[in-house]
Amino acid sequence: MASFHLPAYQTALQTIQQSQLPHGGFASQPENQPRTDSTAWAVLALSAFDISDDICDRGRGYLQTQQHKNGSLSFSSNHPETSWPTPIAILAWHGVKQFQTAQQRAVEFLLDFTGAHFEKSSHSAIGHDPSIRGWPWVAHTHSWVLPTALAMTTLQIAGFPQHQRIDEGKHMLLDRQLPHGGWNSGNTITFGKELHPLPECTGIALQALASNTPMNQVEKSLDYVLGQWPSLQTPISLGWALLGLGAWGLRPANAEEKVLTSLDLQARYGPYSLPSLSLLLCAAQASHGLHSLFGHRSLSRQHSSSQ
Amino acid sequence: MSKIQMPQVTPALSRRELLKASLIGSGMVFSGFSLYQWLHGPLQTAQTFIGKAPNYQINFPTLILAGLRELGITAAEVQGKRILLKPNLVEPHKGLPHINTHPLVVQGAVESFLRLGAASVVVAEGPGHRHDTLLVLEESGLADVLYEDHIPFKDLNTMESHPLKNLGRYTNMDTLVFPQILQTVDWIVSMAKMKTHHWAGATLSMKNLFGCMPGNYYGWPKNVLHSEGITESILDITATLKPHLAIIDGVVGMEGDGPIMGNPIQSGVLVMGKNLPSVDATCCRIMGIDPYRITYLEKADQWLGPIRDSLIEQRGERWGTVHTPFRLQPDIPAHQGIRLG
Repeated sequence: MASFHLPAYQTALQTIQQSQLPHGGFASQPENQPRTDSTAWAVLALSAFDISDDICDRGRGYLQTQQHKNGSLSFSSNHPETSWPTPIAILAWHGVKQFQTAQQRAVEFLLDFTGAHFEKSSHSAIGHDPSIRGWPWVAHTHSWVLPTALAMTTLQIAGFPQHQRIDEGKHMLLDRQLPHGGWNSGNTITFGKELHPLPECTGIALQALASNTPMNQVEKSLDYVLGQWPSLQTPISLGWALLGLGAWGLRPANAEEKVLTSLDLQARYGPYSLPSLSLLLCAAQASHGLHSLFGHRSLSRQHSSSQ
Repeated sequence: MSKIQMPQVTPALSRRELLKASLIGSGMVFSGFSLYQWLHGPLQTAQTFIGKAPNYQINFPTLILAGLRELGITAAEVQGKRILLKPNLVEPHKGLPHINTHPLVVQGAVESFLRLGAASVVVAEGPGHRHDTLLVLEESGLADVLYEDHIPFKDLNTMESHPLKNLGRYTNMDTLVFPQILQTVDWIVSMAKMKTHHWAGATLSMKNLFGCMPGNYYGWPKNVLHSEGITESILDITATLKPHLAIIDGVVGMEGDGPIMGNPIQSGVLVMGKNLPSVDATCCRIMGIDPYRITYLEKADQWLGPIRDSLIEQRGERWGTVHTPFRLQPDIPAHQGIRLG
């Protein structure tokens, strides 16, 4: 768990709180329009640190207003096919009774939703099996590692760890694991060459597989992230690597030090976008992967909401 | 991938036009005047500058300023302009600098435009394969250059974006969503890497524009564009965005299984020009590739710019003097039959 009292966390949480717009949504950057993904991530980070239920509920309420009839939430209301923020919204609503129906509708959408899949031809240049179902970034396109891993993680937290889609997703992620370990966006081998792994994709895939896969099946990937760990400092890669390692009980001892260094690096990069900053804070607070953020809070909120 | 269709901008011939053409066509052939010219007016021409750059230690501002001068771009033309430089940072990895536009070339362009009086220069990219753009900047080496010199950087994958009518119509997309910043700058400069490509044959200034398309709308690795067809998307984006300049880093390019897994090849050139198809066609010739065999260039010919050698005026070096055939891979269908005769 992160040391809440440290000024760096206080500043970061304040930044997020102050980014809330009048209708409850959060923008990615100051002076921008509210976004579903920014709002969901902001709610996750603030609630991970037990910051004001009111702010979080207003954020959740904004998300509810953005939900489409089919239960999904899209990045842009004009582009309903960009439904990749749906799993993050499900997490933001998780455990809060007044948003249970909205969450349920989003879960139903996610369980039904998949990418474009096809049988691999005998002369195909790609290494992976494109027929295995996962989740896409955008409707009608192929399934990729990040949206699949995020959907799987979310469905497990939302109470569907044994669902057939989790099994399929696991199958898909293991098929997309690189022979030498790690994941990238989702291409393993092209024209006979193994492609390079990426820490952010590997972290999130490890997070998704932590509670349903024997360690020996992902050992090389864990080694890859641990090998990358010393050089990671940017919020997305550091955040997902930390969540992935934490989910496997391998949270490095210097995790907090690295998170604080990353927060300091805003002096170099400028302020982080709200989703990146929120991811980093969630990773700081989640000692055993994203799942560990929900245990105590979801129960207490459910209890208090029903009183 | 979808099949190539003729764009709406290409006019269909009416019966009367066909009759007229058939009556006088044979006469025109003898006079050297083509049916195309008769219908569309004089053929487009363009200028392309090739500068020798044997390594990354040379003075890039001097070379780029020379190139701009040769292309007729004056200080008066640049003065007060807001310039956006779009390098290729598709998937940087430490120790593999031949994947990406070299940071020193980007730095050289920034300095050149500022020296000519540009109001602002911003570097922007929406990496195709990577979600963590800050790590992309670090691993490409561009972060050190940008932050040392206080050059602003924008992540095109995640910026606020707006739709524009698709002016190409090779894909089925009615609109294309572009980051807002692309509509608020005066010049967009495509700063690509000279590479072979295992789906498109070659990736140069036009293919580099995939990085202008926000991942939040198109996914990673720009899934919607791949579904709609790489060739078709390249044409639509170029036709709609209309970039103002191309600068290609061919100092060390990539041959074989590009755009990621190929090998470095030193071609020792920087290629520049205002017309993207012409610049890309010139690069192809340097790489030993026939531009007419690269589908998106063949389709762009005369519509978006000339690719015929005789219509591209070479400034600086002649492509024949820097010709460095890039290795093509026989098992890659997009590399078959594209070698320059």
